[in-house]
Amino acid sequence: MHQAPTRHHDVHLWADRCVGLLACAILYGYLTVPDFRPQPMTHLRTENLTKTFPGGVIANNRVDFAVETGEIHALVGENGAGKSTLMNMLYGLVKPDSGHIFYNEAPVTISTPQKAISMGIGMVHQHFQLVPSLTVAENVALGYEKKRGGLFVDRQNTAAVVRQLSQEYGLQVDPSERLGGLSVGEQQRVEILKVLYREAQLLILDEPSAVLTPQEVEDLFEVLRRLAASGRTVIFITHKLNEVMALCQRATVLRGGEVVGTVDVADTNTEQLAEMMVGRSIERVTTTADAKPQTEAKLILREVSATDDQQLPALVDINLTLYSGEIVGVAGVEGNGQSELIQVIAGLRQPTSGDVVMGLQRLNDLSRRERRLQGLSLIPEDRNEQGLSKDMAIWENVVVTRYNTDEFTGQGGVMHIGKVKQFAQGLIELFSVRTPNSNVQVRNLSGGNAQKVVIARETAQQPNVFIAAQPTRGLDVGAAQFVHEKLLEIREKGAGVLLISADLDELLALADRIVVMYEGRIVGRLARGEATREKLGLLMTGSSPS
Amino acid sequence: MRQELIEQLGNIAKIILTLAAALLLGAVIMWATGQDALNAYQVLWDSAVGNQRNIANTLLAATPIIMTGMATLIAFRAGIFNIGVEGSLYVGAFAAAYVGFTFVTAPGWILIPACLLAGGLVGGLWGFIPGVLKARLRVDEVVTTLLLNYVAILLTSYLVTGPFLVPGMANAMSAEIAEQAQLPRLIERSQLNAGFFIALASVVWVGFTIRRLTLGYEIRTVGSNPVFARWSGIPVGRVIMQVMFISGFIGGIAGAVQVMGVNYRFIGGFSRGLGFDGITVALLGRNTPIGTMLAALFFGGLRNGGSTMEMFTQVPRDLVDILQAVIILFVAIDLTLTWTRLRRRSSGPGSDAKAQVEAQPAEATS
Repeated sequence: MHQAPTRHHDVHLWADRCVGLLACAILYGYLTVPDFRPQPMTHLRTENLTKTFPGGVIANNRVDFAVETGEIHALVGENGAGKSTLMNMLYGLVKPDSGHIFYNEAPVTISTPQKAISMGIGMVHQHFQLVPSLTVAENVALGYEKKRGGLFVDRQNTAAVVRQLSQEYGLQVDPSERLGGLSVGEQQRVEILKVLYREAQLLILDEPSAVLTPQEVEDLFEVLRRLAASGRTVIFITHKLNEVMALCQRATVLRGGEVVGTVDVADTNTEQLAEMMVGRSIERVTTTADAKPQTEAKLILREVSATDDQQLPALVDINLTLYSGEIVGVAGVEGNGQSELIQVIAGLRQPTSGDVVMGLQRLNDLSRRERRLQGLSLIPEDRNEQGLSKDMAIWENVVVTRYNTDEFTGQGGVMHIGKVKQFAQGLIELFSVRTPNSNVQVRNLSGGNAQKVVIARETAQQPNVFIAAQPTRGLDVGAAQFVHEKLLEIREKGAGVLLISADLDELLALADRIVVMYEGRIVGRLARGEATREKLGLLMTGSSPS
Repeated sequence: MRQELIEQLGNIAKIILTLAAALLLGAVIMWATGQDALNAYQVLWDSAVGNQRNIANTLLAATPIIMTGMATLIAFRAGIFNIGVEGSLYVGAFAAAYVGFTFVTAPGWILIPACLLAGGLVGGLWGFIPGVLKARLRVDEVVTTLLLNYVAILLTSYLVTGPFLVPGMANAMSAEIAEQAQLPRLIERSQLNAGFFIALASVVWVGFTIRRLTLGYEIRTVGSNPVFARWSGIPVGRVIMQVMFISGFIGGIAGAVQVMGVNYRFIGGFSRGLGFDGITVALLGRNTPIGTMLAALFFGGLRNGGSTMEMFTQVPRDLVDILQAVIILFVAIDLTLTWTRLRRRSSGPGSDAKAQVEAQPAEATS
């Protein structure tokens, strides 16, 4: 009688202990073994996210978008489809008008980039935000330096962390090197390191491949795969559909500020994605009729040499003749003299020797304006800086090469602003630039529409020589096709077109012949039939095709 | 259109807030030093616009500031931070005085335009020097214009204490200009003179030039994106030199008007910062001709009222300087925010540049 309750008590005690131990074990496992822990499947989700910009442009309309933890998710869409707006809302740069954002299934308000960073969201911008005079490690840690004694920057510790991160994810770059000396690809690695250093779990990359060489793109993909394998989530914004196919698990397509759909990459192909993007079937490559044989030389470069800003040779004995009615492609890895070539022709750089002749006129002594008035048209490489003034209205942008002609300026230098606006309105309609009127600042246009403004200006009068530098860079499929059609049209009307492009497909599709530049020289000249990707690739890297 | 209206209203609200904040801070300072702020402001207001004569004196005080404001504004529009209007004003004033006391036999209808033109041309050349340096050698205009101010002030002071000293005069001043070169006074018991109309004309001219002339289009293009201007064939160097000449020209006229309408002679060191007031009003007026003119009238009222206030209250006229400093501070804060926001827009990510339009100013500070 005395023992029974005790034994009974013991049994209870042991049972309790066992339950307790089991609970501990489960809890331990729960906390330590990652796979045991139920993962929040959705890393980030938006619901009905809407943003309207002043002027009534609806950039995002009720966007539902979700990324799973550990995936590489492509965000594709035309220029002006609302990709950047969406990402800027996720990064706290733009405030949504309405809708909700969930991070690990918890509702959040991301009011500033600092908030986004502290939550674990990192963004690699298309235009790098780096300080050239600082070292790699200093750039990576900028604003988030490891401190010693709460006051002093612990350089060694910082550099060690950067080095460790760069080894872990294969981001090869020397932490002690100054940023100014790095290539574009290396700078991008620094940007990624910066995001990782801030312990980002969700990485947003805005068109990261646009500035890279093919080999660098491969390296970048490898890094991104490693990041995803480590449990991080990557949002990859791009125009290039083959990159989506090669890298991503899923893709969300935006069009006109709305989500068209999210697809598994395994179940789709580039044609389907392209159709979702533009809303219609499109031809993959613009086809061109062969050029009519012409003999009239529009532009002649004779033994032209020039130096770059550091006074180093950038162009060496360039000989090139551009005939009317043909498109001559200039291929080459960027930085092999293409920029200097454009500048010499446009009059922004004086050649150290040699002649540039347009028609019968020696250009060397003509001012930039005189060259323009003689029929030289130009789409500059960097259209946002060199080709447009974003704070000015459309009408002010389209008239910049001819505002002082009799057509637009009367006696005493008084501009006929009414006439200019009429002229601008005509171009807007002709090129179907999406804008309410010509008073809109170019800043408020999408990339494709902005490029239309440049082309409208440059083709408003039939050019003699048309230089198109990277004319479709950053443009979506539809806008790029429009540009290609225009270039062919300009050729048909008898201009000589010089097409400088990093896009080999574009060159192969459009150019009647291709010259290849390497280290400031023309190292190869290929006719339309004989140019192939392989041959061009070899020439561009300085080896001669056997 | 509605957006523009809202933006305009926002700008006006900003200016009013700035002025209100400045007045409030001035009041706090007066209260802290045991003064009756309300009374002081009452006196300030009365003596600025209380009666016809006070209004006239306010317009008189505003006259040179309107012109130095226009001179500064047109350079700002081209993206040139010309802080050398003060220097142009001095050399322009001296040149006008020189013509005025040298050709005393010339009739007024020749002498008045000649004095103005001399002041404008010499002031213009003074601005042209840093213009050439910037356009041809890329010398930073802030440094050159600032330093040339001292050269101008000291050079003119030397001229009136040395070669052009009037015997029997204790102070550094030139001889009096011919009577027919003096600008007519507009009302009795005030020095307000026809120079005020010259100031108004400068507002109209600058406004018309910027909005309607090809030169104005060039100025705006160079100011908003010089790279684009260069690539498009606009002769950027020529525009810079032109603008600096015009800016100096207007500054020189401002100096000439002070000589011909107020002092009737060149007095060494007479300006005490009229050129710098021009910078303040151009900034406060947000680089628009009308806004700048209104800001200049406000400052004229402060200057004019301040001296009377000192006579009738215990508040020294330095209060006006405090108010001005506070206003500059607010304008500078606003400019910094705008600048950061602009920078953020242009260096922002993505091809959809419009996404950057609405970055909040508050974020920019963090």
